[in-house]
Amino acid sequence: MRRALWVELRRGTAPVAALAMFGAGVWVLAVHPDDWGGRWVGLADYLRVPLMVLCPLMVCAGAWQAGRERRRDIGELIAATPRPGWHSLVAAWLAVTLAGIAGLMVAYAGAAVLVARVATYDGGAWWQRASVGVLALAAASAGGVLVGRRVRLRVAAPIAGLATYVGLTILTYWNAPAARLSPADTVGSVYSLVPGWVTGLQATWLVALTVLLLAVAVRRWRVALLAGAVAIAAAVPINTAPSWYRAPADPAAVELVCTSSGPEVCLTRVNAFLLDEVAAVAQPILARLDGIPGAPRRAVDEAVRPPGDSVPEDADTVWLPLDFQATAFGDLANVDYLRWAFGQRAGGECAYSLHGEEFDQRIHQVDGIATDWLLGGSVLGAAGASAGLRELPPSAQRAWYADYLDAVGRCDLPALVRLAEQP
Amino acid sequence: MTTISVADLRVSYGKRVVLDDLAIELGVGVHGLLGPNGAGKTTLMRVLATVLRPDRGEVRLLGHRTDDRVGVRQARRRLGYLPQAFGFYPRFTVREFVEYFAWLREMPAARIPLAVDRAIERVGLLDRADDRMKHLSGGMLRRAGIAQAIVNDPRVLLLDEPTAGLDPEQRVEFRTLLRELGLDAVVLVSTHLVEDVAAACARVSLVDDGRLVFAGRPEELIAAGGDGDSGDSPIERGYTAVLRGARQVSR
Repeated sequence: MRRALWVELRRGTAPVAALAMFGAGVWVLAVHPDDWGGRWVGLADYLRVPLMVLCPLMVCAGAWQAGRERRRDIGELIAATPRPGWHSLVAAWLAVTLAGIAGLMVAYAGAAVLVARVATYDGGAWWQRASVGVLALAAASAGGVLVGRRVRLRVAAPIAGLATYVGLTILTYWNAPAARLSPADTVGSVYSLVPGWVTGLQATWLVALTVLLLAVAVRRWRVALLAGAVAIAAAVPINTAPSWYRAPADPAAVELVCTSSGPEVCLTRVNAFLLDEVAAVAQPILARLDGIPGAPRRAVDEAVRPPGDSVPEDADTVWLPLDFQATAFGDLANVDYLRWAFGQRAGGECAYSLHGEEFDQRIHQVDGIATDWLLGGSVLGAAGASAGLRELPPSAQRAWYADYLDAVGRCDLPALVRLAEQP
Repeated sequence: MTTISVADLRVSYGKRVVLDDLAIELGVGVHGLLGPNGAGKTTLMRVLATVLRPDRGEVRLLGHRTDDRVGVRQARRRLGYLPQAFGFYPRFTVREFVEYFAWLREMPAARIPLAVDRAIERVGLLDRADDRMKHLSGGMLRRAGIAQAIVNDPRVLLLDEPTAGLDPEQRVEFRTLLRELGLDAVVLVSTHLVEDVAAACARVSLVDDGRLVFAGRPEELIAAGGDGDSGDSPIERGYTAVLRGARQVSR
């Protein structure tokens, strides 16, 4: 088998599959570095999300490889040999699968080097999540092999790839339990701990599916029956289990890591690699608020925000959205977006809750002045709004801001209108 | 010793009977299989190669019945086959292609490298062993096909139109190879080139319209022809005379 595998790896569809998967891997990683930058779990999960694109490629490669005997009119020659048909089929499938996965892994290894430089959390059973993605690729190439073996069309490979893409898209975005059978379904987030039984069942489902597809391709009906039974046995609990979208938080992942000097800025351990850069943005703003009654005193990673909190900012804390805030190199992706977390919208929200769309637009204006003042006069769309306020003595500026916070705390709309005219 | 035994063979494609009531016994040596187009030569080769299941009859290769799963697998291990339509993998090198078929023929892994080199050398392709199949000429491809057929030192070697595409010099070399192979194996060569049969075969069988109409030595086939029969050589005249006689009998 090793000899045949080696020949297939060099001369079959395998080299093309490896190249295609490498290219696709680089592309998907480059498109959304914010999904995985600096986070091992993010990188593992990001092996799953692009499976909607990667699986069709593997299906295509498997189908093309398995259709080779027919294309090259060599079936009769092979039929006269004693080796059981499944040996050569498994060798061909294995070659395409290993090559495809290897190509993808090279791309992901590059990303892993970047993550390893900065990552601050390596738990979360990320390798288990990634393994399910790898098994999905093996299942996809097995599906392709089945198509290549059984469908006599020369264009079977691209059609099968396209059909897989459409099927996986529907399955993944379908709001039904069956969606959980899609390998592109990532189950949890970077902050959650996916139960071992979930990844175990998904792995079992995909392995059984792979065996089933290969067995049908070589007409090994007893093996197919057995694999089919195992696949169903794994699929049923996946489909009927309570939703795991609310997977429990990973305590180690959401443990807060805080700055040791200056105003307090705390990020989860998963995002702690951004702490210095986030602190550089958040601490000057928090320093500006220091001593103002009712003003936030610390900034905290939004990942630990209590669920069900309908108030954007509580009195004490500014929540920092960091889910898509890392570059491939582990740097802060968008400073303005982070600064905007300090933006003031409370006046407008008060007015809207009381009057709907019909309220005095000066209330929006006062929110803009407060935000612009707080962020140092560089707010996109409101730059210069606080110019009048800034001309006042520092103590008067802080008093104005304290009045603003007091007014929004009480939803005192007339007071907010007055503040808008005051500077 | 008989190594191929066929009795009461009937093969049909749909309603058309291609081989009917055919019986043949072949021992060690080179055998020519002659016959006009559509006579059933390729069908017989496919049955003997165990890729086509007959409607009726018994086929034994090296003592193994081909309708027995275990028997057919054992027979295939000692079988070499070059079909008329020889397909190949263009990206494989000659060596890889022959090696792949050595693996498919379940040769012991340790024996494969030497056997592959020997097979390639015997067909005169050693200097092109590392060339990709797609870069070979038609004659070279045919020789690569013969190399894969003989890599396992088969006791039964079936060659369907093996000299198609070979130049005269290569055909002469090929006949020498055939004689060498026929020393310890039964070699059945299906061909239209009666000169090849006269030059290389110890025995010849002639099939017409699905029936065996002649079996004997090439000299006997030559003797069957007369000056009045059509053909450029004595064996061609014998060939046409036997065919004409068989058709008169069947009418």
